[in-house]
Amino acid sequence: MKMKKIKSFKLLKILAYIILFVGIITILFPFYLTIITAFKTPQESSVSFFAFPNSLYWDNFINVFKKAHYFMFFGNSIIITVISVCVILIIVPLCSYAIARNMKKKYYKIIYTYIIIGIFIPFQVIMIPLVKYLSDLHLSNMMGLILMHITLASSVGVFLLVNYIRTIPRDMEEAAVMDGCTTLQAYFKIVVPLLKPMLATIFVMNALWVWNDFQMPLLILNQSPDMWTLPLFQFNFKSQYTYDYNMAFSSYLIAMVPVMIVYATSQKYIVSGLTQGAVKS
Amino acid sequence: MQKGKSAKKQKKIKKSSKVMFLFTLPTVFLYTMFFSITMIIGVYYSFTNWNGISKDYKMVGFKNYITVLKDGRFRNALGFNVVYTILLVAFIIFLSLLIALALNKVTRFSTFFRSIFFIPAVISMVTVGLIWNELFYRAVPLLGQFLGIEWLKTSLLGNPKLAIVGILIVNLWQGCAIPTVLFLAGLQSVPKDLLEAAKIDGANSWKRFTNVTIPYIIPILNMVIITQAKAGFTIFDYIKVMTNGGPGQSTEAIGLLIYRHAINEGKFSRSVAESMILFVIVGAISILALKLTSNKQVGE
Repeated sequence: MKMKKIKSFKLLKILAYIILFVGIITILFPFYLTIITAFKTPQESSVSFFAFPNSLYWDNFINVFKKAHYFMFFGNSIIITVISVCVILIIVPLCSYAIARNMKKKYYKIIYTYIIIGIFIPFQVIMIPLVKYLSDLHLSNMMGLILMHITLASSVGVFLLVNYIRTIPRDMEEAAVMDGCTTLQAYFKIVVPLLKPMLATIFVMNALWVWNDFQMPLLILNQSPDMWTLPLFQFNFKSQYTYDYNMAFSSYLIAMVPVMIVYATSQKYIVSGLTQGAVKS
Repeated sequence: MQKGKSAKKQKKIKKSSKVMFLFTLPTVFLYTMFFSITMIIGVYYSFTNWNGISKDYKMVGFKNYITVLKDGRFRNALGFNVVYTILLVAFIIFLSLLIALALNKVTRFSTFFRSIFFIPAVISMVTVGLIWNELFYRAVPLLGQFLGIEWLKTSLLGNPKLAIVGILIVNLWQGCAIPTVLFLAGLQSVPKDLLEAAKIDGANSWKRFTNVTIPYIIPILNMVIITQAKAGFTIFDYIKVMTNGGPGQSTEAIGLLIYRHAINEGKFSRSVAESMILFVIVGAISILALKLTSNKQVGE
């Protein structure tokens, strides 16, 4: 009886390792193929798609940099992500703080519900009128994209932060205000440090979302190639160079590298940021 | 003295409430300017016959909505989304829970395994879609030849019946990462002594899983269902990048149909009516899901 139990326990453990092993192979195999294909000549790939390259063929990468202005698109993505995330991290917590501390007042109650409704409205509902509206406002450019990212981040951001701030007792800020701090000083000196964990979550969620977003740049920026972001560049690059898939793979690899480096260095924060964001919204 | 102090306090509170009001302004302004107004414009145009370019148009009432609901292409798209969403939700739950259970079981290398499984979550859907697109054309058919499986010998994405499976595979490859971590956290929240007690009472592994573990992960299960259902109904990136709705219209999801009608086919007002219908569907699902979840929590 006991033997049988131990045996079944062992079996389950072996099964677990098998599942994980198969899973890991499934996850890593596409990466392996991307990397080796990026370093092969078309001739080599046609001989064997799966084999290791004979030597590292760097011309694919050089061509991507030469033919396409990779650094320009990289720069655009950086500008859009940095500005959007910075503004989100400034204005959304301020608004959430005001709402959380004045929940009894009618105005704050109304704007809370008003902003939260955005969570239930998929982007595709507004995407078509948006194209028209932004071009009427002369905002079919990076500025418009940044404003849209900030706007669309506010619903989930306010929801997460208001609920978080409500759990923080307000005595400290009140004492600080009585001691002569202004509301703004009290906010920055006392509230912001307490918000750090939630701000980290919002930072990670939004940075990755803005960096990887495709649908909005496609709608707003596709007409003007000098404003393309990295995902938009990849999409258009593929349709331009379909014949040379080795070069295409090196472009995918180059596009992945920045995010992979960030993931490798701050994995802990990214995992907890993305999952926290998912749990609480 | 006393009076002066309280007056000072009054003044401070008044000033503070002014500042608080100012705090809300930037967000409320942007949200109104770029979200609410856009939405209102959308509702307005859905009652017109505007094609997106011409100068004059007129109000046509519910005509667009009637056209859309009668349109076979829209129904086809809706059908695609329904099937896709059901498959997506079911497979995401099955696979993520399976991986989470396995991760929860092993002691060695579990951090390593976890960090590998999470990688797909940080890459853009476009990159993932493009890579898999190439793999479906170049790598998977070789595998099909090697294994002698007929339907794998050509690209899944080129087959009208199987293209949906191809897209689903890519979505699962990337989409399981976050649910897996969530389920793992849920599994780790199950009290160890409760499991021990069940074991002593003679419950086997399966019984322990269904009777002890499952109730602890129900909140996470609900959340995964809601988020994935929303993702399934609004799928766009993978399809735009991999099949662009094809072959034929076999993978034309609602999101893509809206995009094509407005951007490529000049049916602006009709596409807006379609997005309003999508809004009603997703809204109904969210409300239904929330109702179900809150009932469950009360029952617990």
